[in-house]
Amino acid sequence: MTRLLVPLFALVLLLGVVIGLDSSPPRADFVFINASDINTLDPQRMSWMQDLRATRILFEGLVQTDIFSWGFDVQPAVAERWEIRRVEEPLVNAMGGPVLDEQGEQRTATREVYTFFLRDNAKWSNGSPVTAGDFVYAWRRGMLPDTASPYMKFFELVRGAAQFHQLRQAMLSEYQARPRAERNRAEAEALYREAVDAFEIGMSGEAARARFSDPVRRARLGLDDESSPWLLDNGVGMRAIDDRTLEITVYRPTPYFLDICAFGTMYPVYEPVVSRFEEPNPVTGTLVILGAWTKPEHIVSNGPFELTLWRFRRDMRFEQNPHYWNRDALKIRSIEIPSIEDSNAQVLAYQTGRIDWMSNVEVAYRGAMWEAKKAYYEEHKELVEELRAKGYDQFEIDRHLPPDSRLHIHVIPAFGSYFYNFNCNDKLNDGRDNPFRDARVRRAFSMTIDRKAIVRDVRRIDERKAYSLTPPGSVAGYEPPRGLRSVCDAPTPEERREIADEARSLLIEAMRDMGMGSDPSRFPTVELLFNQEGGHDLIAQVVASSWETNLGVSTRLVAKDLQVFRDDLKNQNFMTARAGWYGDYGDPSTFLGVNRTGDGNNDRNYSNPVYDALLDKAAIEADPVRRMELLYEAERIIMEEDLPMAPVFHYSNVYMFDPHRLSGITSHPRSVQNPFLAQVFDEPIGPGVARALPPRSPTPQSDNGDPEASDSPPSEASR
Amino acid sequence: MMSTILRRLAQLPFILLVIYTLTLTLAWAVPGDPLENPEGRQPPAEVQEAMRAQYNLDSFWSFYFSYLKSATGVQYLADLATGEIRREAESAREAGVAPRQRYIFDLGPSLQYRDWRVNEMIGSSLPVSATLGIAAIVLALFIGIGAGVIGAVKPNSFLDISTLVIALIGISLPSFVIGTVLLLLFGVLLPIFPTGGWGSPSQMILPTVALSFPFAAYIARLTRMGMIDALGADYIRTARAKGLSENKVLFKHALKNAFLPVLSFLGPATALAMTGSFVVERVFFVPGIGQHFVNAVRNKDLFMIMGVVLVFSTLLILLNLLVDILYAFVDPRIQ
Repeated sequence: MTRLLVPLFALVLLLGVVIGLDSSPPRADFVFINASDINTLDPQRMSWMQDLRATRILFEGLVQTDIFSWGFDVQPAVAERWEIRRVEEPLVNAMGGPVLDEQGEQRTATREVYTFFLRDNAKWSNGSPVTAGDFVYAWRRGMLPDTASPYMKFFELVRGAAQFHQLRQAMLSEYQARPRAERNRAEAEALYREAVDAFEIGMSGEAARARFSDPVRRARLGLDDESSPWLLDNGVGMRAIDDRTLEITVYRPTPYFLDICAFGTMYPVYEPVVSRFEEPNPVTGTLVILGAWTKPEHIVSNGPFELTLWRFRRDMRFEQNPHYWNRDALKIRSIEIPSIEDSNAQVLAYQTGRIDWMSNVEVAYRGAMWEAKKAYYEEHKELVEELRAKGYDQFEIDRHLPPDSRLHIHVIPAFGSYFYNFNCNDKLNDGRDNPFRDARVRRAFSMTIDRKAIVRDVRRIDERKAYSLTPPGSVAGYEPPRGLRSVCDAPTPEERREIADEARSLLIEAMRDMGMGSDPSRFPTVELLFNQEGGHDLIAQVVASSWETNLGVSTRLVAKDLQVFRDDLKNQNFMTARAGWYGDYGDPSTFLGVNRTGDGNNDRNYSNPVYDALLDKAAIEADPVRRMELLYEAERIIMEEDLPMAPVFHYSNVYMFDPHRLSGITSHPRSVQNPFLAQVFDEPIGPGVARALPPRSPTPQSDNGDPEASDSPPSEASR
Repeated sequence: MMSTILRRLAQLPFILLVIYTLTLTLAWAVPGDPLENPEGRQPPAEVQEAMRAQYNLDSFWSFYFSYLKSATGVQYLADLATGEIRREAESAREAGVAPRQRYIFDLGPSLQYRDWRVNEMIGSSLPVSATLGIAAIVLALFIGIGAGVIGAVKPNSFLDISTLVIALIGISLPSFVIGTVLLLLFGVLLPIFPTGGWGSPSQMILPTVALSFPFAAYIARLTRMGMIDALGADYIRTARAKGLSENKVLFKHALKNAFLPVLSFLGPATALAMTGSFVVERVFFVPGIGQHFVNAVRNKDLFMIMGVVLVFSTLLILLNLLVDILYAFVDPRIQ
């Protein structure tokens, strides 16, 4: 027996040693839980909210948006100032010759040239200056197909970027078609250098012919073909005039271009380090990015903080970047993001003081917590009403009230919408005729969704019922169309019946025209597709029962695993399916783009040339007011006539933090946070101390026939 | 004995190859596209094609062999032979930077967590799970054997029945319930221990207890049964007749035989405990390997699925072998 005890004691000893070796640094000044674990810290490859949030801590773009201004104003960042001018650029064809219009005149296009003047005290975390070339390098990465940037569209705003992307794609295809023996590392490297040259000097006309002397290869690349879409004459419209001056030519006037420059994927990366982790794959010729450059031991960043620790699925730690130009604005020295996946564990960690801010409260009882906060508001009704009337945001209202743990939960409107997709194809994937191909059917189904029940009984955090894709009040200068009226808005049962009848007659009319008879109960069983987790089943139940009671159709719920669900969406293997979309930049096109014909995110396969034309027109419209009118008309088409999707509600974010102890979180409906601006106080703070949105002159509440609308929380965006 | 061990070790690669083939076939058949963000922006189709080619995801067999090559170290040896690795090191030295890390058994990149390689992910989480698992097994042994012996000495006494009840609860209650109850009791109501995390000894205690509970319960039942059998055997009567003290009889003679079933349970149990528990890790946010089993499949992260399965299988086979060796060591009847 003692012989057995020896290894046992050895094990215990080993345990002690392991624990002793494994230690954590002291608690950071500000600890928060991100939306989820980081997928990547490589700016050009990211697309998830948690990644973009971390990027704002680590990197800094040309400009930044002021999250504490209602207009989300653009402020200087690495660029201390900029100039914008319009130029008329002559169009050139593939052979380098002029493009002529019908009258034989040289055709031109209006471009916008942005000149950014970089501040000379912008530094990387290793002390070297941030140069215009750093931005060129980062943006070129974003344009290369090798990087597979999910936000390539943003980079394509630069004149010639889309062509550059296609050229590189063509070069890769040509490379891959070569015999295996002719493909090796050196060849792949040469191919990449060629692409970089093309970026700088252009690839058509004499320059290209001189470079590609082999006629076979030239033909394969389409260099002698006048209609080749990817040939560029002047290269990509982005160049470093000197270390401090960056010139970007935007291929069409884009009012939100600066807003996009503030977006995380557009931030610079440090070439000397990053390029060490990019290597050409000899077989495919593509530049493979090895993720390791984002690790603390390698990464060099230019933002307010630098990464000092990153343990996978455990924690991340950031310390102030000693070379950051604007350190005066920082009130904290260190930030920690622990990885806690389980939402109940998150709340426990919050309650025991382990964390300061929970950025996404998903516990089942959050509705009850929100009720408790509203009850607390009720106890201070007069004061709250008065503060609301003065236009204070939720956090500042809380700071006026005596501290109470019930105040720690916050529901603020988000820049996103939840909706149901309708399959717009003529046929379903099983070969049957798709009953949703008729817009009247889709209208009828959208009109009969009981949004109120979903918001009030299922979600329980007072989200706003949705009648448009763009959340109202989220984009300055744009108010989305009112959309179709819905049964849930009727103040009386009679009116409710009236709306339901209207919807049913729409449905019957469409059924007759499609040769399906006139009995809604004979309508094919409607399938509602959703993914299993995240409470979508409860919403689907309400939607299904609204359709059954109001339209008399039969329904079937189809729950699938997330990956399978995603696959089904992509292949239009559904009748109706739950979906959601968050906007990226302050313009309605960030939402409306998903319904464009052929868009990668158009899961509905909706296609309307009129709609596409409106978006195209808006894209080149120079007058901002006229532009918004065009976008309004586009959104009106999809929200009042065609209904490729039925909007259900606009998302809210649920946060948890003590408003009397933490400053620096904004309640702006664009859902962007700058964690580096946080400040944690030891003593409770009152109003007016924290970084917060200023009081907003109250907007008149528009009446959409909902008696409960005025009961909604102090959310700043109102319909 | 030595030949048995060698034979078993020689079998290892073949067993692993079978496991590899079966798992990859199944994982390949799971619907969904590993390169796609389930809920995010989609890169254009041609970009996805290029990525697919890069990761050899365009055909089953090219993935099968390329992954096999890198995971078994064949690729590394080939690169070593062709001088590729030396060239890399030289070019890094010329540039004045550290050469990039190469793994002999390269389990590939993670498709979900782009900045990490599967080797790094397993390398950082397996030690955590192993520490926690070994601690839990040690604790389970102490509790389980103690409770089992007590029960066996006085069968059907109050003590025996109460250990039986506790053991039953331990076996039947899922660990997320035990974990959450422990967390509420000792983390929130009586804030003695931190609510979770990893790094300090105090953070280890609650997850260890939660993880050891079912194992302890099972060991207690095994020990009790074994002890009752042993205590009725002739050689125990002989020992008592010789006038040995009761302690000596119990621990020197009876337990030695009663421990054998526990020992054979320990092999798979240790492997199981060491490779982490999804639930316990989630409740106490322990950065262990258990979560990867579930997440990798959910994200269809092929490299991660294969890496985790291969590491787990190797561990399981080796631990079983170790237990067999120990068996021979404890029980001289087995050779």
